[in-house]
Amino acid sequence: MIAAKGVHKWFGTLHVLKGVDLTVEKGDVLVIVGPSGSGKSTLLRCLNLLVIPDEGDILIDGVKVNDPKVRPEWVRQQVGMVFQSFNLFTHLTALENVVIGLRKVKRMPRADAERIALRELERVGLADKAEAYPAQLSGGQQQRVAIARALALNPKAVLFDEPTSALDPESIREVLGVMMKLADEGMTMVVVTHEMGFAKTVADEVLFMADGQILERGTPGELFAHPRTDRARAFVSQVLG
Amino acid sequence: MGIAAGAAVAAILVVLDLGLYGLFDVDYALRILPALSRGLTATLGLVVIVIPLGFLLGFAFGWGRTSHNGVLRWFSTSYVEFFRSMPPIVLIVFTYLITLALLAGNERFDATELAPAVSIVALAAHSGAYQAEIVRAGILSVPESQREAAEAIGMTREQIMYNVTLPQMFRVSLPALGNEFASVIKDTSLLATVSILELTFIGVNLVSTLIQRGGNPDLVFVVWIEIAALYFVLTFAVSRILHTVERRYRVPGLEAPQL
Repeated sequence: MIAAKGVHKWFGTLHVLKGVDLTVEKGDVLVIVGPSGSGKSTLLRCLNLLVIPDEGDILIDGVKVNDPKVRPEWVRQQVGMVFQSFNLFTHLTALENVVIGLRKVKRMPRADAERIALRELERVGLADKAEAYPAQLSGGQQQRVAIARALALNPKAVLFDEPTSALDPESIREVLGVMMKLADEGMTMVVVTHEMGFAKTVADEVLFMADGQILERGTPGELFAHPRTDRARAFVSQVLG
Repeated sequence: MGIAAGAAVAAILVVLDLGLYGLFDVDYALRILPALSRGLTATLGLVVIVIPLGFLLGFAFGWGRTSHNGVLRWFSTSYVEFFRSMPPIVLIVFTYLITLALLAGNERFDATELAPAVSIVALAAHSGAYQAEIVRAGILSVPESQREAAEAIGMTREQIMYNVTLPQMFRVSLPALGNEFASVIKDTSLLATVSILELTFIGVNLVSTLIQRGGNPDLVFVVWIEIAALYFVLTFAVSRILHTVERRYRVPGLEAPQL
């Protein structure tokens, strides 16, 4: 469904991605782990063209999308994204945060947009907070609204960039709960996370990234139990304690 | 609260006058009021031109200074630096003189009518330079992550500008814009130098007439107190309007902390 082929990215002289390949099938959950600064976030941003690769292809359903003929706005509608720091629009209520994409991007009438937005908020358990502003919500609630905002556009897949890293333990549980439910419902997901419990339970495949490359890939059982490279071994023993 | 404070200031001015110069001449004060009211109307007319025009210029050049386009950025920065560095009275007089010189011998336009009008634009350009910096500060106050989130749901650059950046920067900029509006209202008095009959100019004329006719020199204070009171009313009204707008667009949970 989504694939990256030989993706390179430079920031100035810094070579952030050094030829990365990945494939996510429909309904699969791909988890990317690795030390900070290894290029995980950049790779994720390449998949919805928030960052344009300097070399290589991004494919959605087999069609190359990092192409002048394809509008990046269209690609971003197909692939939702959830950020580490939520990034809800601070001047809009929870409901309006979900409505705005439907209204402006999908050009839906207000009544329809609000109906869908309410349904999505219900899905993340926040229908009663529809009229609250982000600053009135806890971190976990904000992140669930952010998930609803991504889901409302009915994307083919959702990218999660360390969605629980800025949260307290209680909120982490809330957000992971919503994400596991999504995975159960068959949503295609690419998740950058340090939550190894989540990776073990939900992931179909885990990628280990370091220095802009994918060093290892496998099922969570293989990769966490029997890491083959020294870097992966060191990382796994560190995060799993 | 604010209204009470305004009344108190006016009262203190009047009491000072009474105490220092004998009885406040109510009769004279009322006699000059129609003339000064015409001046106030003229000043209001100038304000209605200068503030929106200054805002448009400020918005355009403030946005320009944050542009990715180097030429646009350079041009906008030059505009701000030039107009901010000129005393407004110099801009007004220079614009007036240049327009007169350019129109010398031109039959189609009446230079004496057009030159003051162009000077009004000069004042707006000066205010625009200040407002450009206010707008730029507002844009910079919107975190890049807000724009990234908007991009991630597929919004175009124009949609992000109208739906995310503008509404957020506008809220941040309001207090500073209120300052600039209050300032430019009083700066319209500088247009008296190019013979625009606004509030201050009419007041000065009243004083000249008073002195020429050998009237009581104490009455000069009555004139200036009345001018001050009228500027206060105008500035205070604008400040109230902005305050109302600010309250209307307040975001719950994002209010300034009550220290």
